[in-house]
Order: sequence, then structure tokens, then C-alpha cells
Amino acid sequence: MFIEYSEEQTMLHDSADKYLRENYSFENRQATVRQKSGFSGEQWQMFADLGWLAMTFDEEVGGFGGGALETMILCEQFGKYLVLEPYLESVVLVGGLIAAGAQPAIKERFLSGLMAGELQGALAYLEEGNVGNPHYVETKAEITGDGYVLNGSKAVVLNGPEADLLLVSARIGDNANHSKEGISLFAVDKNTTGMHCKNYKTYDGRSACELQLDNVVVGTEALVGEVGNASTMAAPIFARAIVAVCAEAVGAMDALLTVTVDYTKQRKQFGQSISSFQVLRHRMVDMYMEIELTRSLLMATAWKLDNGSEDAQQCVAALKAKVGKASRYVAHNAIQLHGGIGTTDEFSVGHYFKRLAAIGVMFGSRDSHLSRYMRA
Amino acid sequence: MTDNVFREEVRAFLDESLSPDIKRAGELMTSVFADFEATMKWHRILHAKGWIAPDWPEEHGGTGWTLNQRYIFQEECKLANAPAFPAMGLQMLGPMLMHHGTAEQKDYYLPRILSGEDMWCQGYSEPGAGSDLASLITSAVRDGDDYLINGSKIWTSYAHHSNMIFCLVRTSKEGRPQAGISFILVDMATEGLKVEPIVGLDGTVEQCQVFFDNVRVPVGNLLGAENQGWDVAKSLLEFERGGHNFTIDHKKQMAKIVQQAASQRDSDNRPWKDNPVFSAKLADVAVDALALEFTELRVKGAFEAGGNAGALSSLTKVMGTEIGQRFNELSVEIMGEHTLVKQLDALQPDYKGGSIGPDCGLTTMAEYINNRASTIYGGSAEIQRDIIAKRVLRL
Repeated sequence: MFIEYSEEQTMLHDSADKYLRENYSFENRQATVRQKSGFSGEQWQMFADLGWLAMTFDEEVGGFGGGALETMILCEQFGKYLVLEPYLESVVLVGGLIAAGAQPAIKERFLSGLMAGELQGALAYLEEGNVGNPHYVETKAEITGDGYVLNGSKAVVLNGPEADLLLVSARIGDNANHSKEGISLFAVDKNTTGMHCKNYKTYDGRSACELQLDNVVVGTEALVGEVGNASTMAAPIFARAIVAVCAEAVGAMDALLTVTVDYTKQRKQFGQSISSFQVLRHRMVDMYMEIELTRSLLMATAWKLDNGSEDAQQCVAALKAKVGKASRYVAHNAIQLHGGIGTTDEFSVGHYFKRLAAIGVMFGSRDSHLSRYMRA
Repeated sequence: MTDNVFREEVRAFLDESLSPDIKRAGELMTSVFADFEATMKWHRILHAKGWIAPDWPEEHGGTGWTLNQRYIFQEECKLANAPAFPAMGLQMLGPMLMHHGTAEQKDYYLPRILSGEDMWCQGYSEPGAGSDLASLITSAVRDGDDYLINGSKIWTSYAHHSNMIFCLVRTSKEGRPQAGISFILVDMATEGLKVEPIVGLDGTVEQCQVFFDNVRVPVGNLLGAENQGWDVAKSLLEFERGGHNFTIDHKKQMAKIVQQAASQRDSDNRPWKDNPVFSAKLADVAVDALALEFTELRVKGAFEAGGNAGALSSLTKVMGTEIGQRFNELSVEIMGEHTLVKQLDALQPDYKGGSIGPDCGLTTMAEYINNRASTIYGGSAEIQRDIIAKRVLRL
């Protein structure tokens, strides 16, 4: 297996890097963090105009037919420039699930709106005390004559406050609360009666909410995929999402290493640049090696997913576990080598650190993925 | 009095005097500092009881307790979630005043530290002088019976809550850099002194930068002689490095993790405590913490025998902070996405709004973030390793 970017992939990489370098400064990013929504509507519209939001959807629904590799290429740049816009939540997760299983009317309406930059989504699937397990679903869906009634609550719904459409997991029938079987997914308009959001900001500067569903009535067309089959339908989407956050992590780690190397060259203590101290040089070399190992795993995993390799799922687990370890090593040492300045809100280092910390807890911790890897 | 009887006495006092709001401030600590108002309230209670400075000699207001009793007191306070006190006055400047201060300085400043009337901060680091502290350039130039101070200090913890600052300033450029440094006490209300808060990664302010623009300070505010400040500071730094008991913090962290691991579930629907990968990692950290506990007991034994900790205090600083950070990481892993919720208002002890997510995870992310600084401040992990290399291994 040898990974070489196609001409189109190279262009996507270069144009994303160029656009963000010229239009996504850290200072502007921080100004955006301080706004209520936690992202810039103008940037989101630009992402749509650049074709990024349509990149990974099939051509028959109006996309460009990209796969995990294109997701990886874009998200790596998002990580490098600490992009706040909810690409992961709206495009990778909700867009991916809607494309995979939504009924025609909703699919057509949501995907065209999403790719045009007009609609956003959020996935409401975690529940309090059990966030480590996406199959833990206490939320109930009751079948009525012409649809479903949803009741329950969801924790940490990323992009929930800004989403137009929420995808809510709920249980139909008597399976145990933690069973993989019996989970269904529903597309619910944010404004539906009975949807209550408690909004907040996350440590990495985004918006999220806790969602309460009180007798939320939806029609039969809201069902995404088949009844009770959500965990099977969602598996490839979560694999794609893991590639997305891990690519973001690689981009963020790259940026951290660059800024750390620059800083240690400039910073003088004991009459010399601190980059001349061997203990710090070796630390930065170790950071570099962690990043490159992770990058190899990332590229191979994306390629395997696109090519349907047998061991793709095992590689996904390995990738998430490796990112957990590497991103901590790189982020912790980036702060350590910066000293006090690395612990301030004013400097970029800490913001990369917080994003990497967030990625570390999303879609299963290092431990869960180590266990998955050993079982696969 | 046996140690057990003493412990009972301390517990009874804490039961009676730690009001729920003060306790809540201790529970909600996400760094070495607790909510300031609650901390000062607790300070005044302990001062009234005569227990505010157990480590001080009795003649200056200490309790006359044995080393063991002091350890028990510290442990019980932390386990009962009493807020910790800022170290700058009670633990750092106080002892230095006792060793280097004039009778007049001791009589004036020590009681004001005990009462809480003076809040001190430490003006050491500068933008250009961190690990290489001796390269500091903030200058104090003699002008009649005063010094005129110009320059700036950074990473000054709690300067925004303080009325006094003790500083290292340059009074001479002759000889080794260390030889031209003086130690001076400055009233922060003096004209020309300005404090600018620095927002930390959790979104709160603990650090500041302090600017000096022709700040006029009487010569009598020197602690020790002119150009002898480095020696004063050196003993203080050793105090800072050797004066912390990490084991109690680790025990608290461990207790919290056990609580989290019992209540939160993993991807196989097991409580995290039953997850074999996680348990092995927790045991690994716990064993290192236990080894450090016995090391701290060795240090304590050396103190009791009238010796000092020597380079073992660098060892406990390095290992104590690094073990603490590993505990933080394990907590984050258990609490998962719940740690993403930023709810600074819910971290205030008097907040009545109700928090989001499990209460046992409320402080997890902020603790993890803030504790990264623990291997930087008070002599970075790299500087501490240099000290061990030089003093122990004679490299």
C-alpha cells in the first residue's frame, strides 16, 4: 500500500491551506470565540462557496464524491488553523447520517441546504453518566398511528445551539438501555414543540447544549434508517468522524511543533537560545516522531476506509488510541517548553492544547480504543 | 496528646467551623487557589482560633505542634475540603522575614500576615527572566532615602488580590548577575505601580503582570542587605520547593477518581473501575504515588532529625507535580465529553443555578488545564532535574 494524492486531492490540500492562511488569523478566530454562536457565519458561507461542504457527498445528491481521504485533507487544515466552524458536526456526522439513511424529502431538503451553507446539524446521541458508550440510550421513542413521540434527555450536543436539524437517538422496544440493538435515529427540527436546549460554551470555544425532549411529536418521515438499526448504520459514519478529528489533531500538532521550535529558537535564557539545550532539542524531536507516526496511521486508515479494506475498523481504533497518546505528548510539551506564556489565553499554544484535549475525549477515549483494537 | 486524639480534636473543630459555603469553595478548587472571598473568610476563622500558621515558631504566632501534628492538621484540612491558602505570605515571605528581617520589620509585617490584613504576592519572574532568574533587569536606583524602581514582573500570582509585593530587583550591574540583586518589600498602592491581569486557559485570572514606573520605595524596605537579595531568595525558593506535601493532594485526587470510576460507565457498560485497561493505568499511577508518599516520609524524617531535604525536595517537586498531572488525565478520560462543558459560574461557591452534567466532573477539565502550569512554576521540571544532576549526581 502506497498513498499518493491525486491531482484533485493535492489541489484541495493546497487551496484549503492557502485560503485559511490568508483568511483565518488566530486573532480573528479569538474574536469569533467571544461571539455567542462560537463560529463565523461568513466563514461558513465561504466554506460552502469553496465547495468544501459538498466535497464528501455523492454526486447524485449534488456533492463531489469525496471520501475519507478528502475528509482527512480538509480536517487537517482545520486543525492547523484551529477552525471553529462545525464541519464535523454538520457535514461529517449529521450530513453523513442523513445521506446514509434519511427519507427522500428530508435528505433532499437538508443536504442541499447544508451544502449551500444555509442549514446546520447536530447529533444528539450521548446521555449523562454514559458518554463513553454511544449505545447507551434511555431516551424512548413511542410509536403512534402516524409517527413517533420522543422523551428523554441528551448530553453534550455539540453545535446544538446553532443547528437547524437535530439527529436524536432513541430506543423503541424493550432492549436493555445499553444494548446495541433497538436504537433508532430521528431527524427533528430544532423548533419542534417539546425540544428544550440548555446552551453553553465548551472549553475549546464552541457552542453546545444539553437537550431535553418532552413529548416531541415527529412524523414517520423523521425516521433515519430502519427501526432499531441505528448502531449498524452509524458505524461507518463514526469511523469517518474519527478520521476527521484525528486529521484535525495532526494539523494541530503540526502547528504546535512549528510554534514551539520557533519559540525555543527566539527565547534566550542563560545567555543562549533555549533550543540549544539538548534536553529540549530531544523533546522536540520526540514530538516530531510522534506526529509523523500518527500521520502514517491517519493516511493509511483513511485510505483503507475508502478502499473497504478488511482491517479498516481495526486501524480506526489504532488511530484514535495513537492520537490520544501523541496529542497529549505534543500538547503538554508545547506548553512546557513555552513556560508561562503557554498557559495564557492570549497565546495560541493553549488553544491548540484545549482543542486536542477535546478531541481526546470525543468518540471514545484512548482506553476504549485500545480495547477495541485488541478485540478486532 | 496522642496523634489520634489530636486528629479527633482537629476533626471536631473542622466539623464545627467549616461552613458549607467555605467547604464548597474548597471542593470547587481547580488550581492551588480557592475562591478568594471564601478563602479569606476561612483565614479569619483560623486566625481567631490561633491555627493560621502551624509551621511558624510559637513566638511569632505558630501553634507549637510537632511535625506530625502539623502534617495531620494539613491532611485533615484538605480532606475536609477547606480552601488552601495562598503560599506567598504564610509560607514564603513569613519565614524569610523571620530569618532576614529587622526586629521592626518582623513586628510590623508578621502579625499582618497572620491576620490577613496584608496579602502578599511574589515579584520574581520577568518577561526576559524565567528559569534564568538571575538575569532579571527590573532596577532599583538609589535616590536619597528611597529607591526608584523601574521594570516589570510577570506570572505574579494573585497580584490583583494583593496589597503588598516582595520583589527581586537589580541594584548593581557589577560582578556575577546574582551579586547585584536586592530583596525589597513594596506597598502596591505606591504611585507608578500598575497591575494587569493575565487570563489563563480556563478563562479565569490568577496571574498578573506588574509594571513599575518610577515607583518610590524607602531604603528601609530592603529585606537583608543591599545586593544580598539572591541569598534571601534562594532560601525562599528552597522553601517553596520543599514546602509542599503532594501526598495529601494525590490522596484527594485518587478519592475523586474512585468516585468518578464508580459512577461513570465505559463503552461496555461497565463502571470505569471495572475496565481492565483503565484499572491497570490507575494502579500504575497509584503505585508511583505510594512510592512518593514514602519518599515524603523520608524527607519528613530528615527534618525531624534536624537535617534538611536537600535535593530530595527537587525530586518530590518533579514527581509530585507529574503524578498529579497523570491523575488529572485519568479523570478526563473517565468523564469524557462531560469535561467539555465550560461553566465558570457553576464553579463559584455561592452559585445557585444548578450545574450541567455529573457534579463529580464539574472541575475536571479546569483542573487538567490549570495543572499543566505545576511543572512550570516554582522551578520548572527541567530546572529541578538540573538541580538533581548537579547536587546529587555531581554532573
